[in-house]
Amino acid sequence: MSYNFYDFQNAIQQRNDYVDDQLRDGSPVIGISCPDGIVLFTLRGTQRKLFEVYDRIAYGAMGRQSDVESIRIAAIDSAHREGFQRSEDDVCLSRLVGFGISPAVKQVYNDQRAVPLTIRALFAELHDSAADDVFCTLNYDGEYRISKGSAVITGVRSADDVAKDMLKDAGPTTRDEAIQLAAKVWAHAYNAMRHARKPGGDVDDNGVRLTPAAAFKGALDKGQVLEAAFLTRSTSKTSRFECCTLEAVSAAVANLDLG
Amino acid sequence: MDVSLFHPQSGDFAALTGFTLTDAHQSVTSHGNGLASEPVHGTTVIAVKFKDGVLTVGDRRATGGNAIMYDKAEKVLALDDTMLMAISGAFSKAIEFVRFLRHSFKYYERSQLQSLSLDGKLNEIGRMMAGNLAGAMSGGLVIPVIAVFDQKQAVGRIFFYDAAGARFENLEYAAAGSGSVQIRGAFEYIVRTKGNFSEMTLETALAEALHLLEIAADLDSATGGAGKVLPLARTVTAAGVTEISDDAIRVALGASTTTATSI
Repeated sequence: MSYNFYDFQNAIQQRNDYVDDQLRDGSPVIGISCPDGIVLFTLRGTQRKLFEVYDRIAYGAMGRQSDVESIRIAAIDSAHREGFQRSEDDVCLSRLVGFGISPAVKQVYNDQRAVPLTIRALFAELHDSAADDVFCTLNYDGEYRISKGSAVITGVRSADDVAKDMLKDAGPTTRDEAIQLAAKVWAHAYNAMRHARKPGGDVDDNGVRLTPAAAFKGALDKGQVLEAAFLTRSTSKTSRFECCTLEAVSAAVANLDLG
Repeated sequence: MDVSLFHPQSGDFAALTGFTLTDAHQSVTSHGNGLASEPVHGTTVIAVKFKDGVLTVGDRRATGGNAIMYDKAEKVLALDDTMLMAISGAFSKAIEFVRFLRHSFKYYERSQLQSLSLDGKLNEIGRMMAGNLAGAMSGGLVIPVIAVFDQKQAVGRIFFYDAAGARFENLEYAAAGSGSVQIRGAFEYIVRTKGNFSEMTLETALAEALHLLEIAADLDSATGGAGKVLPLARTVTAAGVTEISDDAIRVALGASTTTATSI
């Protein structure tokens, strides 16, 4: 197919293909509400992927680490400026992403001279009850979606569908239950991403079709590390955000049937 | 919302917000209602060490000139989980200080993914005091007392600043505000006759501190006593900042009253 520099659809398609290809091997990020707070879960390489943005807002992302950092710092700067100049109560996720981060990401995406941001991001906002918690997923082209209860970002559409289906009617009652559910969703989403890469599906070293449990174990064997963060609804500390220890996350997912 | 993806402020909260204290303080002119013709001031705050950390107490009165403007002022405020700031002087500036410092410390921690060091926090407070010098000269003087639990040394520490931002560390106790002058000698008396505050239990230190605050209220018209509104007391220890309950304060006040009666 010939490429016409003046065909904007082709240009956009090529940018999408470029970023989608980069994200295809990424590690999904899952956010789930439970009565005690919100759990964010993922597996990471060497760098952290789950962060505190503001008093009740957390952030996780997949993609290039430099782009993950750009969005993180922009969100923190914007939230703190707003919170100090107005009030902490005036910082909300829908405004932060909808009127701040999303347009900035869209601007980069629209600039044909710039490399688009290679990122998918997930934001979570804690409220007084799980039913009111807000999640927001942001795509590399600036598009964002707001949801309640849970949210997920993965590398391919089919993995998104698998994860959302698993999260649809879930209602974990404790933090550990939420971590366990998130680990299951991660395993199934990552497995779907692996299968999407190869026509007919991915197989292990023995030629057996890869299962979610095997995909999860394979990621850990390759050096990926469990990472979870928690936004708590009840604390006497000044911060509601807490990075869960590796020991706590490992204990929560030990002996878990991942399917 | 103003969002820049490519110009992060690298943890500098003052640069992020454009915040400055260098403008001269605007003196409040008379409202013509017989009340405050001067900025509202907080009065007596006290910090004493005890064996697990630092106890900070403050009366609740805020005055403007001769008028009592407010009887529920909070003058002992947490800057984070390891640091308390007890404020005396111009109330509006002091609250502005606290608000800025809380945001500044949190902003640094969130953006740089590590806490600002104790020395970094104390320097930031000193910079703020120095930035307020012009304001201090025209009625906006704030004198803070800082109580902190030093995680590295595992001890409670007390600091105070002069109006120009110079930092001093106190060994056992510190007090600030209009009532602090009257009770200065009493601190020394307690240390010399009963021993160091840093060796006392919380209950003993609380009773002594509240006793001192009551003396300040008796001798300084700008300091509120416990009769109308209970003082505010908070501790900072290895476990973080804790507010002492009203019940515990009543018990301690009873103890200090008993002591006074027996004398």
